[in-house]
Amino acid sequence: MSMRPGGELATRPLHFIWMADCSGSMAVDGKIQSLNTAIKEAIPNMQTVADENPNAQVLVRAIKFSSGAQWHVSQPTEVADFKWDDLTAEGVTDMGRALSLVAEQLAIPPMTERALPPVLVLISDGQPTDDYASGLKAVMEQPWGRKAVRIAIAIGEDADTEVLQRFIGNPELKPLQANNPESLVKYIKWVSTAVLKSASSPASQTLDSATPGANVPIPVLPESASSSAADDVW
Amino acid sequence: MPDDQFTTRRWRVVGHSVRGASHERAGTPNQDAIHWLPASSSDELPLVLALADGHGSAKSFRSETGARLAVETAAAVVRDFLKVQTESLSATKRMAEEWLPGALVRGWQEAVAAHLAAHPLSPDELDPPHASRHANAAAQIDSSNSLVAYGTTLLVAAVTESFILYLQLGDGEILNVSAGGEVSKPLPEDARLFANETTSLCSPDAWRDFRVCFQVVSHAPPSLILLSTDGYPNSFLNATGFLKVGSDILAAIRAGGLDAVNENIAAWLTESTRAGSGDDATLGLICAEDAQHDADASHTNEDTAGQNRNDAKTGDAFDGA
Repeated sequence: MSMRPGGELATRPLHFIWMADCSGSMAVDGKIQSLNTAIKEAIPNMQTVADENPNAQVLVRAIKFSSGAQWHVSQPTEVADFKWDDLTAEGVTDMGRALSLVAEQLAIPPMTERALPPVLVLISDGQPTDDYASGLKAVMEQPWGRKAVRIAIAIGEDADTEVLQRFIGNPELKPLQANNPESLVKYIKWVSTAVLKSASSPASQTLDSATPGANVPIPVLPESASSSAADDVW
Repeated sequence: MPDDQFTTRRWRVVGHSVRGASHERAGTPNQDAIHWLPASSSDELPLVLALADGHGSAKSFRSETGARLAVETAAAVVRDFLKVQTESLSATKRMAEEWLPGALVRGWQEAVAAHLAAHPLSPDELDPPHASRHANAAAQIDSSNSLVAYGTTLLVAAVTESFILYLQLGDGEILNVSAGGEVSKPLPEDARLFANETTSLCSPDAWRDFRVCFQVVSHAPPSLILLSTDGYPNSFLNATGFLKVGSDILAAIRAGGLDAVNENIAAWLTESTRAGSGDDATLGLICAEDAQHDADASHTNEDTAGQNRNDAKTGDAFDGA
């Protein structure tokens, strides 16, 4: 009688996708190096969060976009095995292509309905050079696109925050403005720990279609990150 | 409204609820609840089983209580409704679909209001520590939306002599298992229940969100009815794996009896939440006694007091016929 009924058990997958701007302007003033460093430093934090919740299977991928877009890490990778190869900067800002690539992967299948809401982190320092609206439309046409946690980080004052705000789609959540390496590290750490932890929680939320992003509460930013930094370089 | 085939049937109910693995790690309570009526041994129908899954979110900080109030209220409201139904099946069906959801919501709201009056929201609840706050302004609770603090789903199945009634608000699963082991869902899917979001007793016009099925049992009624909160089905790799629970449990009942199954439910749920969703998991079974005909005839009808548990304890059963 001890035979457990039903089929195979499994933890719930949580897909975390970095979307990194690798346009030529990211080579200026060490932005791309700072981004590489920030994400590398965030990986142990992500692993800690994943270890604390073994019921969420955190799977990480990355897209790079410049002149075109391609997967930097194409396979959903267990966070324990995730490694970051440095990105280099060159070309324009084809953000729409990157969004289209993400949209393909948010369809069901390959996603499953029982997954936890995915986390999409869009990082950019400039204005899209392609039809970003079509890519964003493709994302939002997918149920998991609409219900994903969409975070945007604007690097420097030339970033198009209006476009990033449209990607977020939630007026209560603004793009995170990183004007120096320190603030970039803090925002990357926040999204890879606090946001990841919130997304991996199984707590239910009341259905509220009028409030985008209500299915995953967004943690408050750390005080030190939300205040303006003194040494802006971007 | 009795049906000759159906009135000969006797029914038993068992069930358990276990605290989710993630709740154990976080130190949060089991926010599911299960309750059934009659509360003690009786040959009386209707038999009503109710499950609820408190949301457990930051703004539903009293959802453990909300779930308990939901199952207690629902079992009583549905039982009382069914006891006074003397009209035709079609009239009863119409009342069940049109009046009962509102009655369930009102009953829960009244129970919550009474609890709030006895236990007003504390300053600590209204202004939580920094770590549990969120950026969403909608997370704030005040006296105008205090029902949200108790937010919960609700699943109900009620067996009478001539029909079975199912009501569901929010996520979770209700399954039928036929005598031949075929598993089906009596209620339609609600596509809105996706990505952690659920309809809720605390929502405005919650009565509109109930799914209701009125199942006349003139022939081929289910042998087994399963109700579960979503922490259990979410622990399986896919939907097929969860549906297999229905046929596997019927086979287990036939092999070893309902009491033996009942002794294992809590362990099964615990294994599932640990290897699966991490969420609280609750499973209630309503079993036709003739579904057990292959089981050991030595079964004794041990009856218990009414069940209302939020912990994994030894489950008991009662009969209704």
